[in-house]
Amino acid sequence: MPIPNGGLITETNRQYYAGAQQFITSSTASVGQTFTSTFQTNLVFGDSDPATNGYNLNNFKLYTSADANTWTELNPTSAIASTTGTNTAVIVVVGNPVNIPLTVANADILKDMTVVNASTGVVYGTVLADSSNPWTSISCNITTQIPVSTDLRFQFVSPWTEANNIVTVNASLPASTYLKIQMNEDTLWDMHGDYSYTRLDDVIDNFLIAYVGAGKLIPSVKRTDVIFHAKRGLQEFSYDTLRSVRSQELSVPQSLSVVMPQDYVNYTRLSFIDSMGVQHTIYPANELTLRPYATPIQDNEGIPTQDSNNSNLDGTSRITKDWDDNNPKKISGAYLNDYNVADIYWQNYYNGSLGQRYGLNPETSQRNGWFIVDDRKGLFGFSSDLKEKLITLEYISDGNAYDLDARIPKLAEEALYSHIIHAILSTNAGVQEYVVQRFKRERSAKLRNAKIRLSNIKLDTIVQVMRNQSKWIKY
Amino acid sequence: MAINVNTVYQTVLLILNKEQRGYMTPVEFNKIGTQSQLEIFETYFDSLNQQLRVPQADTDYADRVVNLDEKISIFKEFGNATSISSSNVFNLPQQFSGTPFISAPTIPANTTAATTQYTIQTATADQLSNGVVQVFQVQTLLSATDYTISGTTLTFNTQPVSLGDAITVNVYPKQFYRLGQVLYTAGALPTQELQRVDRGELYHLLSSNLTSPSTTYPIYTYEKNQLTVYPDSITNGLSVSYIRKPLPPIWDFTGTSQYTFDPPSSCNFEIHPNDQTELILKILLYAGVVIRDPEIIQVAASQVQQENINQQS
Repeated sequence: MPIPNGGLITETNRQYYAGAQQFITSSTASVGQTFTSTFQTNLVFGDSDPATNGYNLNNFKLYTSADANTWTELNPTSAIASTTGTNTAVIVVVGNPVNIPLTVANADILKDMTVVNASTGVVYGTVLADSSNPWTSISCNITTQIPVSTDLRFQFVSPWTEANNIVTVNASLPASTYLKIQMNEDTLWDMHGDYSYTRLDDVIDNFLIAYVGAGKLIPSVKRTDVIFHAKRGLQEFSYDTLRSVRSQELSVPQSLSVVMPQDYVNYTRLSFIDSMGVQHTIYPANELTLRPYATPIQDNEGIPTQDSNNSNLDGTSRITKDWDDNNPKKISGAYLNDYNVADIYWQNYYNGSLGQRYGLNPETSQRNGWFIVDDRKGLFGFSSDLKEKLITLEYISDGNAYDLDARIPKLAEEALYSHIIHAILSTNAGVQEYVVQRFKRERSAKLRNAKIRLSNIKLDTIVQVMRNQSKWIKY
Repeated sequence: MAINVNTVYQTVLLILNKEQRGYMTPVEFNKIGTQSQLEIFETYFDSLNQQLRVPQADTDYADRVVNLDEKISIFKEFGNATSISSSNVFNLPQQFSGTPFISAPTIPANTTAATTQYTIQTATADQLSNGVVQVFQVQTLLSATDYTISGTTLTFNTQPVSLGDAITVNVYPKQFYRLGQVLYTAGALPTQELQRVDRGELYHLLSSNLTSPSTTYPIYTYEKNQLTVYPDSITNGLSVSYIRKPLPPIWDFTGTSQYTFDPPSSCNFEIHPNDQTELILKILLYAGVVIRDPEIIQVAASQVQQENINQQS
């Protein structure tokens, strides 16, 4: 079973759990060997030199090993990609071609290697041809004069490259050695649990295969139409059907505002986290205050004034300032402010009357604090009791922000097919209305099923909730 | 799998000569044959469209869609489109121009003992790989399974039994007829099919945020026999499936006083053998026009019509 055998799983256990794919190099040492990645996740390549900024774009690393036990990362200075030597007590002048006389024979110097100072990293030139017998005279294109008796390093600037999931090693790989593609940790996180999703690309391809063609209800359709309806479906599902998996841990700054996430569509919940790590829901201050969209500066007649570009002058909001300065305890009526930890042993004698006041407005009688959405600035504002508190923001996106988002839980895959087929049939001319209605009902039913499935209602959980009400249920 | 040009010519002559009605010269036959073959070839695509709208019997040999696809499959080709100056504009798979027909001798010229490899002269490797190649051993057209051609080397799968036989290699250019699918392959990534769009759609698609072309879902426009691919980062890895035109039939001969059929310099009809009857009738129909015999035209036309009714009912 661990080996992919034609099922939906295409990665080996090692690829999935360890994020590693291992190869054996050619039986003869050679340059330019290629290795094809079979990870389900595409490789992302920026640069193979850790000293460059592009290296940070890589979502994987490349390692070599002689015994598949001790691994060394392949980079410009690793032993496989570089070699060292010292020129004789002769200055090597600028020129092309120029021979570098070495003190010790070296057969590992290869064409296209860069000649650098081993200690300072100064680049002197490029090797024009592989070193050859007697291995002490290296033909190079020298762009910077080499001082006498300089310790040199011959290295590949880019010992390997990657394009379209094929890794090409420019350095000379020893015969029958081992090479490993190792995914980075955050890439591995994305890979884990990926099986519960179907990629949108696959949904589109499957749809075109199964629902479109001669003799079917949709004889032909433009692929762009399917892509549009699939992406729109994913957006709609993201709003009310799919699980909200997006969340951010933030701390409320002195300004009492945090910026909305880049892929934010709507919030599902904001909470502050107490010292025990337990979250307490923060409520919207809809009825209490607002962040005005515009604060025009008015003249004495109350008419907004304009600047030299004929646009209204905007001032600072007094409402926001007053809200930020207030003491929320005066709104909630809480007279103690220290017990906002979910520790049941925290309570003291004076807390006994908590929750026993009459005539409270339940909407404002909470001690967790408030937040407000500032659409003008794209911010969340918080009440002053949350200053410097740790908060979590759970929100929904639309599933189209990043390539990785373009996937749908398998539990809702069928609902997406129904959504696409209904969307296409309902916009096609000449499709009978009863057919459209049939698929409308089918879409509705499958979407309902998807919602039930994704709501993750488990019998054990229900039982536990019912026990909380001191009621027994047989199961 | 082709229709022997000599069989067709002799049958046409036989019917025409009955009751001394007239004669058709090889030149006339070649021209009329080309016309008739193209007419039948053209009907394949309309018939396929018609049959796709009719429920088919999923039984061996009775499915008309499958049968038509079998006829068309003879002309299905697949080749690489080449980028112009590393841009996103591609030329269709290469078709060599100039001489429409190349008769390429080999070295050694004749089948030789203990020799399975023969070097093809005159024709280039490019012409051989992009053309329709026919190999004759003396007067016999060899099956494509008897040999392989790599570059300009002809290799017989087994040593030819008969030695000293003249080898003739004919190369015909493939003429592009209809564009099929355009595919994009990049490294180890899955192959993607490109969607064909017209210029009106193109601008909407390029400015759409949900359906803008990507390397996963590329699109192309087809103008001036060139493919322009979007996103324009695609500058290689494009391959094309297409339909080529059937080769024009040639009934060639040797001798001056008496025409003797010469297979190595002739070319058979390429359409499916299933259409041999219709082909002969169509040639006869045109022959009736040539020899001005209304009776031939009438008989041939009614036969062709009857056959069409049977095929499409």
